[in-house]
Amino acid sequence: MNAAAPILLEMRSITKEFPGVKALADVNLVVRAGEIHAICGENGAGKSTLMKVLSGVYPYGTYDGQIVYQGAETRFSDIRASEHAGIVIIHQELALIPDMSIAENIFLGNEPRKRGAIDWKAANRMALDLMARVGLQEDPDTLIKDIGVGKQQLVEIAKAFAKDVKLLILDEPTAALNEADSRHLLDLLRGFRSRGITSIMISHKLNEIEAIADQITILRDGRTVETLNIQDGVDEDRIVRGMVGRELSSRFPDHTPKIGEVFFEVRDWNVRHPISAERQVCKNESFVVRRGEIVGFAGLMGAGRTELAMSVFGRSYGVFESGTIVKDGKEIVLKSVADAIAHGLAYVSEDRKALGLNLLDDIKASTVAAKLSKISRHGVLDEVREYQAAESYRRDLRTKAPTVDEGVAKLSGGNQQKVVLAKWMFTDPDLLILDEPTRGIDVGAKYEIYGIIQRLADQGKGVIVISSELPELIGLCDRIYTVFEGAITGELARADADPETLMKQMTSTKKMQTR
Amino acid sequence: MRNFLAKTVAIGAIATLALTGCGSGRDGDSDSGSAGSAKGFAADSLIGVALPSKTSENWVLAGDLFTNGLKEAGFKSDVQYAGASTTVADQQAQITAMVTKGAKVIVIGATDAAQLSTQVAAAHAAGAKVIAYDRLITGTPDLDYYVAFDNFKVGQLQGQALLDGMKAKKPNGPYNIELFSGSPDDNNAGVFFNGAMSVLKPEIDKGNVVVASKQTDVKQTAIQGWKAEGAQARMDQLLTSTYGGNKALDGVLSPNDTLARAIITSIKGAGKPIPVVTGQDSEVESVKSIMAGEQYMTINKDTRNLVKQTIAMIQALQKGDKPEINDTKSYNNGSKVVDTYLLPPVAVTKANAAEAYANDPKLGPLTK
Amino acid sequence: MSRFKDLQKNLFGGTTSNARQFGMIATLVGIVLIFQIWTNGLTLRSDNLIALFNQNSYILILAIGMLMVIVAGHIDLSVGSVAAFTGILVAKSMAEWDLPWPAAIVFGLVIGAAIGAWQGFWVAYIGVPAFIVTLAGMLLFRGGNQYIGNANTIPVPEGFRKIGSGFLPEVGPSTGYNNLTLLLGLAACLAVIWRELQSRKTRREMDADPAPMWISILRMAVMVGVIVFASLRFASGRVGTSFPISGIILVALVLAYSFYTRNTAGGRHIYAVGGNSRAAELSGVKLKRVNFFVMMNMSILAALAGMIFVARSAASGPQDGNGWELDAIAAVFIGGAAVSGGIGTISGSIVGGLVMAVLNNGLQLQGVGTDKVQIIKGLVLLLAVALDVYNKRQGRFSIIGSLTRGLRRDTPSGAPPSSSDAGREPARTTVSG
Repeated sequence: MNAAAPILLEMRSITKEFPGVKALADVNLVVRAGEIHAICGENGAGKSTLMKVLSGVYPYGTYDGQIVYQGAETRFSDIRASEHAGIVIIHQELALIPDMSIAENIFLGNEPRKRGAIDWKAANRMALDLMARVGLQEDPDTLIKDIGVGKQQLVEIAKAFAKDVKLLILDEPTAALNEADSRHLLDLLRGFRSRGITSIMISHKLNEIEAIADQITILRDGRTVETLNIQDGVDEDRIVRGMVGRELSSRFPDHTPKIGEVFFEVRDWNVRHPISAERQVCKNESFVVRRGEIVGFAGLMGAGRTELAMSVFGRSYGVFESGTIVKDGKEIVLKSVADAIAHGLAYVSEDRKALGLNLLDDIKASTVAAKLSKISRHGVLDEVREYQAAESYRRDLRTKAPTVDEGVAKLSGGNQQKVVLAKWMFTDPDLLILDEPTRGIDVGAKYEIYGIIQRLADQGKGVIVISSELPELIGLCDRIYTVFEGAITGELARADADPETLMKQMTSTKKMQTR
Repeated sequence: MRNFLAKTVAIGAIATLALTGCGSGRDGDSDSGSAGSAKGFAADSLIGVALPSKTSENWVLAGDLFTNGLKEAGFKSDVQYAGASTTVADQQAQITAMVTKGAKVIVIGATDAAQLSTQVAAAHAAGAKVIAYDRLITGTPDLDYYVAFDNFKVGQLQGQALLDGMKAKKPNGPYNIELFSGSPDDNNAGVFFNGAMSVLKPEIDKGNVVVASKQTDVKQTAIQGWKAEGAQARMDQLLTSTYGGNKALDGVLSPNDTLARAIITSIKGAGKPIPVVTGQDSEVESVKSIMAGEQYMTINKDTRNLVKQTIAMIQALQKGDKPEINDTKSYNNGSKVVDTYLLPPVAVTKANAAEAYANDPKLGPLTK
Repeated sequence: MSRFKDLQKNLFGGTTSNARQFGMIATLVGIVLIFQIWTNGLTLRSDNLIALFNQNSYILILAIGMLMVIVAGHIDLSVGSVAAFTGILVAKSMAEWDLPWPAAIVFGLVIGAAIGAWQGFWVAYIGVPAFIVTLAGMLLFRGGNQYIGNANTIPVPEGFRKIGSGFLPEVGPSTGYNNLTLLLGLAACLAVIWRELQSRKTRREMDADPAPMWISILRMAVMVGVIVFASLRFASGRVGTSFPISGIILVALVLAYSFYTRNTAGGRHIYAVGGNSRAAELSGVKLKRVNFFVMMNMSILAALAGMIFVARSAASGPQDGNGWELDAIAAVFIGGAAVSGGIGTISGSIVGGLVMAVLNNGLQLQGVGTDKVQIIKGLVLLLAVALDVYNKRQGRFSIIGSLTRGLRRDTPSGAPPSSSDAGREPARTTVSG
């Protein structure tokens, strides 16, 4: 924007080592006052580590290099020190306490006091003021758990303002937000810029970066690759090239679908919410999957896609009410996950860490976890077969790990997802349900995972992909269902699918006539 | 490589042989113990003393007396108390350790009379003499001696004092009393109780003495683990259930001082006049209480005398002599009749306290 | 590569289970040697070794079950009370109903199973936290013990006492040793050698290089040396004593449960549930069944431990089982299990229990009072776990970690990590954990 603006922050030759790993090597970053500076890079490129160095999570002395902030070298000993200097970091996982109110959260650890006691009157007044600045219209006494993720994000930012922020760092701020909330947040950042607040934003969403950032610093493998100025006509492909170090000719591998007969069908599926029984999360939903077909499920967050998938997968969500599942012409009843697995279903959860993997396990044990019977006789496990199975998937899916004895907690998001895919491929499923299979995964790994999905379809398996990214669905799927408020609102063939039509169906209660 | 390997194996083998070499001699046939009684043992041998957990002053005092007394007599001593919660297991382990260390005589104040037979057998097999101190160990033929105060007599003295005390306060009956007894896992508790009942029962039958709560069975009166809070809680309940209103409580049979004081605390808390309460052990607080006119009596079983007697027995064993015993009939532990030395207990009330504790450095001054 | 590096990598950092176990035994041996010197050789004398096993087998049996409970993410506070409750019933069944002792043992195990089913039902099917269920059980069964036993001590017959205080009988020619113990030792030696060879074979089938031959031989030599030493010691006890029967029960259980937890699908499921119960459920693990099983299994083992203690004490008493749960839990945590579940091994817990046992025994031999012993044991528990936590956080070599899960091998070998994410992860886990 204004390249002549004074430099607010300069990080010089930052090097940070962990036992056996160099997470950052000689990284440089220059941020000018009043700009939005995006930091891009694949997962594991060192973005978060760099921000942790900046904010004092890794205190002075544990890294090499220099941080010059507001013209003077700073040596933060902890987060409080950096916050004191006006640097506030907002993490991907929000640090809010669900059972406290908005006002309480905003002033947590920073409570306005009068004669030693908390002055709640002042707190509420100040909270209202701060909330107005971030465009949050709520009662400050509302509990955090009662507002949506988007608003929670705003509370986090308001909290930063309460600390008199000069440099706001946002780590994947829109990862958990829907389109509307994301747009609101980006507008907010623009507003901050016009008021002279500097922001650093880490994001995987290149379209957002392109839309909002002034400068883009790209990291790869712990090194600075380049810093781009948006005014020089930078586009998404240009950023991707910097991140992966090569041109990606296409975001999706070429694929010619080989679609067969309908083999899996869900009819009139009704499920109620597990706790509040009056809420129906699946309303008379019906869909089919053909062999060799990749079927997409589009919908906004909370539309009930995950709920549908999990309730089909052995009633692992909600209270089953009615509906039938037909597979290969025969009606099947799946009362438990074990039933579902036995009938050739697989479900890859959207939340790898909470639902997909046991982070204490190694790759080996994770790979075979869903079908131990395949590597055991009379319940006794065969270590050799376990190893061989895991090893063949590691090679096949090109999981980046020295051996299959590596703990899954140490893998990057993309490689963890490959392990989860391997785990389900190992069960020899006929139908794979993939819930947000590329969430939080960098561009290169996404491409590989798309390839794996296509290969699975080519083996004659049916694949369901649930995704919030419309381009992903359009690029990958042969057919797309749209879901809104627990009901299927439409069905589009790939050729007819474009973002506008999908978005319209995803936000309409009216059931469209499709067939 | 090969050379290194050979060396490693060789070192391993040598080390193994060296370590095992010393242990190959196996003790001959068992019962070396009984045969050796005529010979005695070295004058500076190790004597083990295993006592219950430190819940009463008496045991602490006994431990100190043993430590000093055995030292004066020229022995090496190992005096151990059981832990507060894992009493039985601790004592079992301690006795075993004493056997391992080669103790010649092991004195045991049992935490549980019936759960030590395995360890006593092991001690006997290793040639050590076992003396049960104060509490009989049951169910084992391997126990050599028992030394204690005459506990039946203790009970009788308590019962008699209770009657005398009540008569002194109120010349004519019927008297309302309540009964307490000690921990059911302590062999002595039943003996005290039976002794006391041998005196009280005829009076109860005559109707001269009434147990107002009707709780006369030893199972109802027992206080698990001799715990003060247990006695206090039971007394609280008795007062509420039986002595509401103006009903008078004239006497309480308490098996020892700790419980007696807990009982008095409970009665004071209820605002009732303090009845005649018996006791035992001559604990400092109780002697003070007697002098202040609250607790009526206690039993002086001078721990000094008991320890002195035990050490005398050990000294006799050391010389190869047979220790002095005065009872070969009364104490059948279920497997055999144990040779026993019984010391006479003394009942102490405010009237004879000064005389009874005249030689006691701690209690004596309290009576003046 | 120097031999030393070879040794370091393969002895402590190897993937084979033998390496892990070797590391554990080394730790224990260190403690034993310290006491051996301090007590002038009493610690390793045969009568003391025999006593050590006799005194602690019931706690170690509890530790086996407790490990599985803790790995599954629960805790069991009721084991002492369950043991006491079973003990009094079994003693009564023999003393008053004239049940023959083998039937009484079966009866005891059935009681344990019934109690376990009761507790498992509440934990697995109703969803009451195990802490609460077993706290209730602790009161319930302690009260039951006192109600049934009237706080009396009930003796048990001679035959029954064998399981707590019996020894391998003397058979065969007079060799100056207990022959059966020697045979047992010989079998153990052969098993160790067979396992080492088997594991080399497995490594080869996994296309991985087995440890250099000389390391395998060294490992075998040390293991065999220890076994030979131990069996000679046990075999040379006073005539009539040898390897205790309770020790044989313990060894059999350790072998069986180690195999179960490491090598079977059922065992794997316990770790899966403890590591991430939701993920396990979505992988087809029957969560309720696993939880029910670990709780029930614990109570059965508690019943067995109770019977062994009663047999050893020759009588069931009201103090039985007091504080056992704490000893068992301490053993499991010293053995490297994680409070949050998912991590821990049977062998680690046994070593943890033995560390406590040797400490207890050694201090007692030195004539240190129980008050001080308790203080020392408390500090050892705290320090052992603190050291483990500290080392994990620092990403350094973790003794207990290496004992339980084996080292993450890439750290010492310096192999390039899978991704530069590796550096990020420890920090994140400390934040979330």
